[in-house]
Amino acid sequence: MVDINLKKKEGKRNYLVFRESEINGNEGGDALMSLFWIVIRQLAEIEATMATSKKVITREEWEKKLNDVMIRKEDMNKLVMNFLVTEGYVDAAEKFRMESGTEPDIDLATITDRMAVKKAVQCGNVEDAIEKVNDLNPEILDTNPQLFFHLQQQRLIELIRNGKVEEALEFAQEELAPRGEENQSFLEELEKTVALLAFEDVSNCPVGDLLDISQRLKTASEVNAAILTSQSHEKDPKLPSLLKMLIWAQSQLDEKAAYPRINDLSTATLEDPAV
Amino acid sequence: MPTATSTTATATNTSTTATSGILHRLFSTDQDVKLKALRQLKNQIIGNRTKKLSFLKLGAVPSVAAILAEAVLADDGDRNNSFNKNVIVQSAAVLGSFACGFDAGVQAVLAAGAFPDLLRLLSNLDEKVVDAGARSVKMIYQSKLAPKYDFLQEKNMEFLLSLLNSESETVSGLGASIITHSCKTSVEQKILFDAGVLKKLSSLLEGSLSQKDSSLESLATIFKDNPEVVLKFVGSESGRALSSIIELVKDKFARTRLLASLCLIVIRNTSPCYLQDIAVKTKLVNTLLELLGDPGQVGDEASFALSSLIVQKEDMQKLAFENNAIDKLYCHLQKDSLNPRRFEGILLALADMCSKLECCRSRFLSSQVLNSVVDAVAHDSADVRSAACICFKSVARSIQNLSAGSFLTEAVVIPLVRVLDDPSTSVQVAALGVISNIVVDFTARRSIFIKCGGVKQLVQLSKSMDAAIRLNALWALRNLMFQAESKCKEGVFMELTASLLASLICDPEPFVQEQALALVRNLVDGCISSVEYVFAEDGIILDAVGRQLQSALKAEIGIQGMYVLSNVATGEEFHKEAVLNQLIPHAETGSQAYIIKFLQSNDSRLRTAAVWTVVNLTNSLSPGAVDRLEILRGAGIVSQINNMQNDPCLDVKLRVKTALGQFKTLDTCLSHTFLWRLPLAGYITLLSFFFAIKAV
Amino acid sequence: MPVRVAESSAPSQVPEAANPGQTSPQACTLLSVGQAFSGTQNVSSLQKEEAWRVNVRIQGCDLEHGYLCGTMEALNVPMADTPVVTFWEGEIVDTKNYTFFTDKWEATSEEDIKHWTKFPSFSPLLNQVEVDGGKSLDLSNYPHIFMRWKEQYFVNVGTDCGLTIAGFYYVCFSCSDGSINGYYYDPNSSPFQKLELKSTNEGRSGFSSSSYELQ
Repeated sequence: MVDINLKKKEGKRNYLVFRESEINGNEGGDALMSLFWIVIRQLAEIEATMATSKKVITREEWEKKLNDVMIRKEDMNKLVMNFLVTEGYVDAAEKFRMESGTEPDIDLATITDRMAVKKAVQCGNVEDAIEKVNDLNPEILDTNPQLFFHLQQQRLIELIRNGKVEEALEFAQEELAPRGEENQSFLEELEKTVALLAFEDVSNCPVGDLLDISQRLKTASEVNAAILTSQSHEKDPKLPSLLKMLIWAQSQLDEKAAYPRINDLSTATLEDPAV
Repeated sequence: MPTATSTTATATNTSTTATSGILHRLFSTDQDVKLKALRQLKNQIIGNRTKKLSFLKLGAVPSVAAILAEAVLADDGDRNNSFNKNVIVQSAAVLGSFACGFDAGVQAVLAAGAFPDLLRLLSNLDEKVVDAGARSVKMIYQSKLAPKYDFLQEKNMEFLLSLLNSESETVSGLGASIITHSCKTSVEQKILFDAGVLKKLSSLLEGSLSQKDSSLESLATIFKDNPEVVLKFVGSESGRALSSIIELVKDKFARTRLLASLCLIVIRNTSPCYLQDIAVKTKLVNTLLELLGDPGQVGDEASFALSSLIVQKEDMQKLAFENNAIDKLYCHLQKDSLNPRRFEGILLALADMCSKLECCRSRFLSSQVLNSVVDAVAHDSADVRSAACICFKSVARSIQNLSAGSFLTEAVVIPLVRVLDDPSTSVQVAALGVISNIVVDFTARRSIFIKCGGVKQLVQLSKSMDAAIRLNALWALRNLMFQAESKCKEGVFMELTASLLASLICDPEPFVQEQALALVRNLVDGCISSVEYVFAEDGIILDAVGRQLQSALKAEIGIQGMYVLSNVATGEEFHKEAVLNQLIPHAETGSQAYIIKFLQSNDSRLRTAAVWTVVNLTNSLSPGAVDRLEILRGAGIVSQINNMQNDPCLDVKLRVKTALGQFKTLDTCLSHTFLWRLPLAGYITLLSFFFAIKAV
Repeated sequence: MPVRVAESSAPSQVPEAANPGQTSPQACTLLSVGQAFSGTQNVSSLQKEEAWRVNVRIQGCDLEHGYLCGTMEALNVPMADTPVVTFWEGEIVDTKNYTFFTDKWEATSEEDIKHWTKFPSFSPLLNQVEVDGGKSLDLSNYPHIFMRWKEQYFVNVGTDCGLTIAGFYYVCFSCSDGSINGYYYDPNSSPFQKLELKSTNEGRSGFSSSSYELQ
């Protein structure tokens, strides 16, 4: 049993790479990392030899190179832990800690609080979320006007969604308009939000997307990031940026060589080079 | 969408009832109701300036301060009452929020006497209480209004060190905030260094995000303008701490990158010998340029940091230029709905970029950025208006563009003349600065400025009660008169009048005197008839010049004044005689002629100006020269000039040579009486004879 | 001063001007801003004798950067209806900002020496200049100021006026009397066109001056 397999039991939708990676999680994850380093190295190598024509690398060569790359398991585990902690999978993180012995870089208890806030926003209980954030650390909303505005805006959106027109108007005037006075871009966002009230059929109105669930998710992730920052933690997990780097590295390599490429990141399968 | 103003009015009305309800419940005897009210109050005011203000007006702060004081007392009696502890935490949070970014709130919290109670929380055993207390005290220390922390007292220093050593991030952060707030003098910087604070702060650089940030801020405070402390810091542990700051310029958090950059900038500006490594300099420049893109406060401040890095430093401006600073700043300037602070910062950074290097100015002018800057001259915010003027002023130092007449167009002049009426003095001064530069126009476009009513305004401002405005208005008029056409001069003189000019020459402010004299110097240069200006109203201007030279406080006044006389002395006989009268003290005073003092000055520019005046007075071609030479000789001026044959300044030496040559001609070729008794024809013959000799 | 077109004018480099105006002490008051000079430029060729009347005025001066600029006006240019005015920028050979070697504008150091030696006041410097371009010389008290004047643009006519400003002038200024001598150099124009100017006092009996100061 390797550590990463854990996600097969616990995994939720977000585990795009690991849960669905072929054969087993370990190989998939390792492949990802090794591939990244290989691509980088290969790139340097090719550039060094100043190859004029496209070099072709066979699957055997490539896999051999992959196998040659040594990646410390602890590093891989840290990467996973970082993902779990940042995304707030507290149970998974706890189990992963027990199984792999990897210590999270943050008090796991704080994750619960953070997740409660995030969840409250996702469910539309914005007022509750605000109170929770203020209990956690009053500085967060006091020093982050943009986040504060977005939470209040979300509150307004929820009122409109629930058809509480009068309350919504009063709230907009009392809470949001003063923010708009302080900041031009807030005023514009506010105007857009209030415009929701002008349409009978909001699903067809030009600002209807504010009522989308994606707007809640956006706000929730903004709060999540702010809390993480206040806890001196990166607001984004490292894994997605590694994936971005992989894509970039492959595109760089594409110009110089034909090699077994990963085309589908969710499976991380090496595909034979077209010769 | 209701307009912003009307909404506030309603907002205050409706909220008043809710507001007073909460306040009422704060005094409830039911402890649960009270705690709930505290939390409610907290959640109302956090992030909400308007609410803070309205609760403040209703006297919420003293009430909460009283609750805190009571709870702190109760806690002393019963340390295990968790409900009471919660009351403490909530009331501390409320007070902290009132103090957060809100000076009126800080004032109220301090006035309510809550500060000592909050400080006491720091020694509480409960972690949550300590945290809440530290947070609130930190908020207070982030305001200028916070009481000054006295580092010189031993127990205070001990307390500070205990804060810095705390495990809690909030508490150690508070320690750093106290330093940032209260460390002002070099004595305090030294004492903090000696107490080992720097070492502690350096170790915090390895800590969490908030520890890094507050440590960087404090370090910058301790370094500022104190080369001794910087030297010791850089030298300690073979520069390890310095390298960790350099490392933090690449940190993943934008705010940390900014603070690390600011810290390095302070080190560099304090001790320019450090951080000369090109890689570090480039990294700094690029980091700040990249931070301009940050949407929040960090982005607002990045441009100010960039300014402090490049101000007055040609090498840094060049480096920034090579890293496309002009384009990048321009790109951020183009964005919609810039907040005033950010707008101001970008304009000032552009101003610093263009202050010295022509390559920066031409890059600036080749983009369309000048249009945006001119628009910003009419911005709502006074800071932006002033920054726009300063930016334009800097660009308008481009002599190449002044020569091409690029700046004097109606589109530019009209808004500038308009802000001469600005309610803010700093905007007026900045606008006068731009005008001073752009009127140095070598094409015939000055008429545009006059047509737009500029001269009337300048003359009006030269009567201002504010010396800075008088100075800058005169400066603009002086530059406007540089090589101006006769008609332009005439118009300006009519507007100014001889009596106003004379009074400005005698202004109480030496800088104003200098500009007034320089203005007159330019006025009487050019077409020969312009010499007459100083003789208007019975020679009131010339008299004023003479009087001012008599008591000249600084070399520049002497220089400009002597050039006025020197220029007048290139006129007719009558003009030369008038200048001579100003130079030579009347017999009854028996004092030494001031020109002797100028000829002996340490300032070679002043000596040059004085010698030129003598040269012009003794020009061998003018009939009265012989007499004037005798008078100058009588006043000891000729022998003084004789002593200057080996003046260390080449220019003075060469002018002295000219003067001595003229003296000799006047002495040897023509005797005083002989000249005046000759008939005209004989005079001409003699002159041709003289020329013949000279030619040989 | 412009000479007849041989080829289109090349883009020129722009030296940096930091402090135009008169903030730093003047090397020579006769060369300060606002001063005017007049004289001739000899544009004779094998075919005919010709000279243009020329006026020069100094507009900007920044000794710290070895920078000088101004305008040049040619009065009787045969093919032009009006006087032709150009804006020029000068490099002062102060051995700090600029040496006697041009290093650009298609001028080799041989060309440089060939031109500089045309000025009698240059001969005491020749030996050292051949070694290092004059880098080690101290010219701060030398009674002549050597410069290169490069015209940057036409002020009052278009580039299609039939004249070129592709070349530049080697200039020698006398601090004693303000006289200026210069030679135009452009590989595509006839060599050693001579510029001779005298300080003018514009109808006054003596030396008159103005000043401006940029903020």
